[in-house]
Amino acid sequence: MSRTGLGTVRAIADRIADRMLSASVLERLALAVASTILALLIGAIIVAASGYDAVEFVSALVFGAVGNLSNIAFTLRQSTMLILTGVAVAVAFRAGVFNIGVQGQFVVGGLAGTLAVLVLVPLLPAGVATGVAIMALAALAAIIAGGAYAALPGMMKAYAGANEVITTIMLNFIAAGVVYFLIDAYLKPPGAAAPNTAAFPDYVDLPGVAFGSPSFSVIGLGIALLTVLVVYVLMARTSFGYDLVTSGHQEPAAKYSGVDPKRMIVRTMTISGMVAGLAGAMFAIMILGYYSDPNSFPTFGFDAIAVSLLGANNPLAVVPAGILFGGLDAGGQYIGFTLDVPSELVDGVIGLIVLFVAVPELFRMAGRYTGLGGEHQ
Amino acid sequence: MSVAEGVDRQRRLILGFVGIVLAAILALLVLDLPGSDVVTVGALERAIQAATPIALAAIGGLYAEKSGVFNIGLEGFMIFGALTGAAAAWIISGSGSVSQADLWFGLLAAAVVCGILTIIYAILLVRFEADQIVAGLAVWFIGLGFGPFAATVVWGGVSSPSLPNIDNLTIPVLADVPVLGRLFFDASPLVLATIVLAVVSWVVLFRTRYGFWVQAAGENPEALDTAGVDVNRVRYATVVFSGVMAGIGGAVLSIGLGSGFTGTGVTMVDGRGWIGIVAYLFGNYNPLGAYGASLLFGAMDMLQIQFQTIGIALPASITGLFPYVAVLIVLAAVGYTRVPAAVGEPYDKEE
Repeated sequence: MSRTGLGTVRAIADRIADRMLSASVLERLALAVASTILALLIGAIIVAASGYDAVEFVSALVFGAVGNLSNIAFTLRQSTMLILTGVAVAVAFRAGVFNIGVQGQFVVGGLAGTLAVLVLVPLLPAGVATGVAIMALAALAAIIAGGAYAALPGMMKAYAGANEVITTIMLNFIAAGVVYFLIDAYLKPPGAAAPNTAAFPDYVDLPGVAFGSPSFSVIGLGIALLTVLVVYVLMARTSFGYDLVTSGHQEPAAKYSGVDPKRMIVRTMTISGMVAGLAGAMFAIMILGYYSDPNSFPTFGFDAIAVSLLGANNPLAVVPAGILFGGLDAGGQYIGFTLDVPSELVDGVIGLIVLFVAVPELFRMAGRYTGLGGEHQ
Repeated sequence: MSVAEGVDRQRRLILGFVGIVLAAILALLVLDLPGSDVVTVGALERAIQAATPIALAAIGGLYAEKSGVFNIGLEGFMIFGALTGAAAAWIISGSGSVSQADLWFGLLAAAVVCGILTIIYAILLVRFEADQIVAGLAVWFIGLGFGPFAATVVWGGVSSPSLPNIDNLTIPVLADVPVLGRLFFDASPLVLATIVLAVVSWVVLFRTRYGFWVQAAGENPEALDTAGVDVNRVRYATVVFSGVMAGIGGAVLSIGLGSGFTGTGVTMVDGRGWIGIVAYLFGNYNPLGAYGASLLFGAMDMLQIQFQTIGIALPASITGLFPYVAVLIVLAAVGYTRVPAAVGEPYDKEE
């Protein structure tokens, strides 16, 4: 790019910087990129300081995410889950409701989906069509259960003023404990030691189509993307979505236009939980093929908070953020298997990303200090 | 006003209820009535122990929120405290047998490390006006990641080997007083220190000039500024205090009363930081109330042992949920806490 071209870019960046008090799309993008890079940098420093090889860590992270076809399949599998749970979080956060309970709603939804499968399989003849019908009903059961489990803290916030951050975290613990108990006491096959339900039959599974991975299906990813689209249209193109966002950010304005903010809180939580419940069915059917102790599950519902925040709680932006985090997750697990660097490190890095996203002012100040408004792009 | 009065009445009702339960428990103990095998001195002892880390986090968080900063990162700082306490004691002992002095050093290290971490956190909150909820959650996630990571660096696994804990302190004469002697004067010094801390915190907050500054920073920062007190400096102090308290609370959990650091799942802190937040809300921002609420949650935590002793067989996965259910009930009942007016709002002097 020519010098004048650079100058123009810089002038534009500066102009944007001037208007930066209300976050622009570009600023959001810059914030997301800068937060991720800074967090990874700190992660690498910590790895080096702990006596591991930082270069090896980063290259293994990248190889684990996109190094070969099966690693890409694993990344996309994690991305599918993170996009679904990320959208669940985004719906709530967009409306100013801090649903930290996506993990619990996901766990409860997955159980409901599993129960639907286990009940329906013996009643219906085996076959592809049956499989599709069972999966659809399982998804429906999961959506209802997830929505109901989220409506509870929604009602507690709306009508009793209970802080939803804390109630949803408590409900996460309760969901994990109760679901474990139900599986261990009633749902595991007689005589089995491990807290797992019976396995689903082969025809209750999403076909792989490509990649040849038993636990990733392109159809699953398609369902996640379709969900994103539905939620986006609901939020950006309907009056309901408008009410939802205004009641979260301009309660008096919403009240004037006749919106009951309390009912909106409950509805927001319910929709958020419905998406989380669908994610639970996806996890049970596409990834596990049975159901198990929720304490052993990946914490998609927590990582989803990072995904949503990184995408500025915009359903569409959740897709690239979800793919990025899917890659981080896959890379982190690969590191856990191959190097002796503990994979928890990546969880810490994700925490750092969330922390930095929460402090846009830090980067604005850094931008001002370096003289360029935009970001260190 | 009528809403506030209603809330007040509701709170009095609940506090009254808690009082009645406590009185009933004492009566059972003293008169040795049937049913006293559910509530034993041992049960109270366990409840007070379980309450100690929760109360430490609660009292610190209370100060921060009173001054206008919602420190939602308590859970994360407790994880760092639990890890640092155990790791520092282990390292200073030369990875061998951990002595009492090593344990006290670990406790101190947890306070210092969490203090330093909270200084960074406080700068992000106060100076850089971070979103308090998101940043607080981030601290939890960072703790959940780097806690077990650091444990692996130190011990080669996410949990420490079994470590000793701080010895009981027996105060002569007082230890011989029935019930109370065993509960407070032949117990871990940390238990007694936490009670003393709760009382001192109450006095400082409600009876000293500094306490009034803290309250003013949260209720009416402009007025405090006009009076010539730096609002942000007060807030820095309370947030760092809350981090130090949470850190000590975590260390109490791992090496004060427990037997080392556990880093599996959501780590050994297991929601106690979150419960600490509810404890001070339930205690209506009163350090003594917060201690009382911590006691309630501590008792819930220990209820499973009592159930076992009287032969009610509930699986641990269910009895372990009692504290969380109690939190939900408490929040639904006293949700309408009057939060300090300026909580969550960064204070800019110029404006």
